[in-house]
Amino acid sequence: MTILTKSFEIFCGTGGVGKTTLATSRALCLAQKGHKVLLVTIDPARRLKDLLGLSESSIGEVTPVKVKNISLDALLMSPEKTIQRMSQKYQTPDLASNRIVKILSKPYGGMNEILSLVEVQMQFETGHYEVIVLDTPPGSHFLDFLEGIGKIRSFFDQSFVEIFSYIGSKTAKASKKMFGLGLINKVISGGMKKLLSYLQKVTDAKFIEDFIEAVQIIYQSKDAFMKGLALQDRLKSRTECNWFLVTSVEQGKAAEAVEMKSHATHFIHQDHYLVLNKCLEEEMKDWFPTESNLSKLKVSLEEREKNLKLRLKKDFTTILEFPEIMSKDPLDHVELLTQSWKKYVS
Amino acid sequence: MTLTPRRLYIFTGKGGVGKTTLSKAFVRHLKNLNHEAIYLTFKNQSLSENHVEKNSSLETHGIREVYLDLEECAKGYIERRLNSSMIAGWIVKTPFFRALVNMIPGFNYLIYLGKILEMGKDNPNLIVILDAPASGHALTMVESTTNFQHIFESGVIFEDTHKMLSRLNDPNYTKIHVVSLASQMSWQEAIELKSGIEQRSPVEVSITVNNCLWPLVEQNLSDLPPGLKLKALNEKELLQDHAPEMLCVLPHSLESFSQGIEMDLVGSLSKLI
Repeated sequence: MTILTKSFEIFCGTGGVGKTTLATSRALCLAQKGHKVLLVTIDPARRLKDLLGLSESSIGEVTPVKVKNISLDALLMSPEKTIQRMSQKYQTPDLASNRIVKILSKPYGGMNEILSLVEVQMQFETGHYEVIVLDTPPGSHFLDFLEGIGKIRSFFDQSFVEIFSYIGSKTAKASKKMFGLGLINKVISGGMKKLLSYLQKVTDAKFIEDFIEAVQIIYQSKDAFMKGLALQDRLKSRTECNWFLVTSVEQGKAAEAVEMKSHATHFIHQDHYLVLNKCLEEEMKDWFPTESNLSKLKVSLEEREKNLKLRLKKDFTTILEFPEIMSKDPLDHVELLTQSWKKYVS
Repeated sequence: MTLTPRRLYIFTGKGGVGKTTLSKAFVRHLKNLNHEAIYLTFKNQSLSENHVEKNSSLETHGIREVYLDLEECAKGYIERRLNSSMIAGWIVKTPFFRALVNMIPGFNYLIYLGKILEMGKDNPNLIVILDAPASGHALTMVESTTNFQHIFESGVIFEDTHKMLSRLNDPNYTKIHVVSLASQMSWQEAIELKSGIEQRSPVEVSITVNNCLWPLVEQNLSDLPPGLKLKALNEKELLQDHAPEMLCVLPHSLESFSQGIEMDLVGSLSKLI
């Protein structure tokens, strides 16, 4: 089977399944075929970071890396750096100037997925790359990533505009600049007013003030976020994007992959791939132990893998199997998996 | 002398290390010692539109499993604070509130932990075994202390949060088990997670290594296929090098289904109390 190379290749999955290693080896495989590749990764294990030569100083910067004579660019996401790049490119305010925005853009904060979309869009616009491989944050963070689109929308939806108008005098000037007089004089629906008064009951006034400032700052970056949003259509498109949903035999839970799919189907097109990592079937196919404990071991390993595959086949038409790599050296992992990807590349 | 168990045990670690099975086996172990223990996990990580789920609880093979729903827990908290179920129901449905909870890192965990601590207050004998999501999240959970002190500087939420976190960070109340496999990669991550948590909380953190081929196959090493043999030998090396840092080492179960694996583990968990 051949998987056509697309402009965007997205890897999703829960933590611990080897998603980052698989994304890295896919990127290397494509680079070896002569494509100009950028690998964007969120949170690689330290050993993989070392392997790619991504030191502390290169976090958040596009860095040329070379693995076994294959060259590609890699970017280890840093929300702060993305925000800086955004403000340079789009003349948006420095998001980090507000304490709440600063916390929202911490790793694992709710801004991460949005920022990674914006980052991929900015990198795509440079025109340097034929393929951008994106390794998304783990777990249900992936679902957040998809919902990130919704989050951007909900951030800029009417209720947020209403916050500015509600606060009135304090922010009137700023709001005027942003929305014009019409909005400020607009009759505010009772909802937002009530909600803020409840919020004030349980927090302090300072929080409300800072929160509104945070919303304003983010609102001023609207255009940049909307550009990231435009990326959505490309990612949805069959001709522009490949989606890889990654799980592992170790994981043993079909439920999570199936759940991932059900969350994703409204977003991704039909020809996505389930990647099943750490398979032992090949390893065990010529092994016929006679000793009782060993044959029990074989049965237990085999059964677990077989049951998982049976379950997955009900929900996924294309399952790509990758073997478990036993070596201690992360370089071996990446090299052998790069080799495994080759059979899927034309 | 019998040890008095803590009130809350958190099992954390990367996916595929066996947290769920181990948590359930630990509940069973505590039940065998006549403690009132329950298995608890979270249904969802964020608030979503058109939400219909509720907290649920079921009894499987003699242990109680509780699945918490974020929206219902949030609603419960607001209800207690504002004394109105109607207003609480409305607030959790607003896009504004949804965005707030989904965007602030750790807010979801704070809501869940609030519910868990309240359950513990309502029933002083209850021991909660929490099957927590993958490791990055566990750090967010612990880190939420500082985040919240920075976000809410005073007010009711601040005071509630403060009270809650001081209980959560009490080593007599909470204990954290990081679960790892006997591979270099998994071990490295477990060590990083442990030290990450220890930097942020005084709670005791121990590492349990699960699903080990070594020393199970020690006698039959030469009969293994080459890959599995290498895996077993790597495990041997890791287990020897880091033995003092491991609280508990559990063998690979020869059972094929989770129920059997769980039963297999029950007898080996006394160190985890």
